[in-house]
Amino acid sequence: MALENITGRIAWIFPEEDFDVDQIVGVKNIKITDIDELASLAMKDYDPDFARQVRSGDVLVGGVNFGYGHPHYPPLRAMRHLGIRALIAESFSPGFWRGEISMGFPMIACPGILAVARRWDTLTIDWNRCEVAVQNGPTLACLPLSSADRSTLEHGGLTGYLKHRASSARQGETL
Amino acid sequence: MGFTITEKILARVASREAVRAGDEVLSRPDFVIAYDFPGYTDVIFKQMKDDFGIERVADPKRFALFIDHMVPVATPKEEELHIQTRQWGAAQGVPVYERKGIGHQVSAELGYATPGAFAVHFDGHISQLGALGTLAIGLRRNLLEAFVNETVSLKVPATVRVNLHGRLGTGVMARDVFHHIVRVMGPASCAFKVLELGGPVIDAMSIEGRQTICGQAMFVGATTAIVNPDQKAIDYARDRARIKLDPVCSDPDAHYDKVIDIDVSQIEPVVVIPPSPARTRNLTDFIGLPIHAGYLGSCASGRMEDLRAAALVLKGREVAAGVSLHIVPTSQAIMSQAAAEGLIQVFSDAGAFVSSPSCDYCFGRIGTMTAGQRAVSTGTLNVPGRMGSPDSEIYLCNAAVVAASAVAGSIADPRPLLTGVSG
Repeated sequence: MALENITGRIAWIFPEEDFDVDQIVGVKNIKITDIDELASLAMKDYDPDFARQVRSGDVLVGGVNFGYGHPHYPPLRAMRHLGIRALIAESFSPGFWRGEISMGFPMIACPGILAVARRWDTLTIDWNRCEVAVQNGPTLACLPLSSADRSTLEHGGLTGYLKHRASSARQGETL
Repeated sequence: MGFTITEKILARVASREAVRAGDEVLSRPDFVIAYDFPGYTDVIFKQMKDDFGIERVADPKRFALFIDHMVPVATPKEEELHIQTRQWGAAQGVPVYERKGIGHQVSAELGYATPGAFAVHFDGHISQLGALGTLAIGLRRNLLEAFVNETVSLKVPATVRVNLHGRLGTGVMARDVFHHIVRVMGPASCAFKVLELGGPVIDAMSIEGRQTICGQAMFVGATTAIVNPDQKAIDYARDRARIKLDPVCSDPDAHYDKVIDIDVSQIEPVVVIPPSPARTRNLTDFIGLPIHAGYLGSCASGRMEDLRAAALVLKGREVAAGVSLHIVPTSQAIMSQAAAEGLIQVFSDAGAFVSSPSCDYCFGRIGTMTAGQRAVSTGTLNVPGRMGSPDSEIYLCNAAVVAASAVAGSIADPRPLLTGVSG
């Protein structure tokens, strides 16, 4: 199964190092489970117009060690509900990476992205070439995904990946 | 070229002759450990059956469940979760441990931390089993993989070797050493890698101190942390081990991603200030900052050395008016030992609230702070809202600092009150 390349507008850039994703919805809202309510709160402290301006297919850009701290799932659930389709960062905190890949959320580590990304510009993730092309800018090499992570994204998340593992095992295929 | 302990352990559990950092393997955990928590175990139990049609886990003795969060329960819903866990364990033949303490500590006490073993959990603090030469990795939701397959997908991590030299000063504890490592190496310095600790300071350090350091590995980005098992670790594990394994160690010519030498002699007690575990600062720069709560406990601290250090500070003294000091030994075994040593009486006489083991103080489920309050804490984490209101603050520090600050009513240096507390 092929992973589809993603082209989208950069809806927001988080330049902060060690960015704590809970800030996206605010720590006090982290236990809210209603997705519409969460989405309505997302980015309020950064740009009150964010929810109005973002559209389906947009992407996010992040800095070094994105997702550090004690990342919860609701902030990125809210972002996906608003249409965010992928996240490109300088580098990721492993716990955050593991958690969101298991949710089937496309992410890629792209050193140098902060220097060239501008809000609302378009970029493209090319999974096979393992690079990100920025509109009117350079094309940057990315860190390759492990085959398990890639397969997880291809199958829409952990459950899909594990079902694929099970059916491959039944058919005697190697993963 | 030789192999790291991590490569050796993963080669065995991947049934391969040898693996190298970067290899992708399917590895069979010796132990699959979890505590019951909404969104994790309840979802895993349900998915196992509904999505994968699996009625029973393979080889249930590999599995261990702990009830250590929401203890004691405060709502019927919480008790229902625990009932579900007990019933699931009984039906599966999987042991469910409760009233024994915090699972990460009790796992070591019960022999799930055999040198050379490979263990998985959803919670990354399981890395503290590395103190006993066990490779223990927190998989978050991917733990499901270990319930529906015998193996989990893993990329063999590279290793950053950190050698600790020198001599720890009075009042400088394992907590300070870890937070110093974050400070000098950086919060992403070991991202996706294993932090392998060694050197004379680790050699001289107790198992408890090693547990404290290994358990916080995620805050340098590490997948886990590990110490090559020495006689001390083997002696601890010998009568507890649940499986027989030959201990393995890194070869002298193992390939490391980086080797870093750190002199601990100059380390002073530290505080880790809000809002993130990346922010290690000198304790002395924060003396006098008023506090409202103190917490001594968690999987990261709350062991005998921590309790003894706090007792030295608290003996014959009283917790300041308006301050709540919660002292929560990490396991029942530790609590009994503390009682036998007379420490519980010292805490009680000082006006501390002494509780049976529970994870709940660490994440604000009890002992909760309101807006504007500030705690000194040996808990795992200081992100906003971790111990109550998002507008309360947590300063992480060692156990002696918690005790001294609780007496002073503000952040205080315990060293004038201590003699000979280290490690």
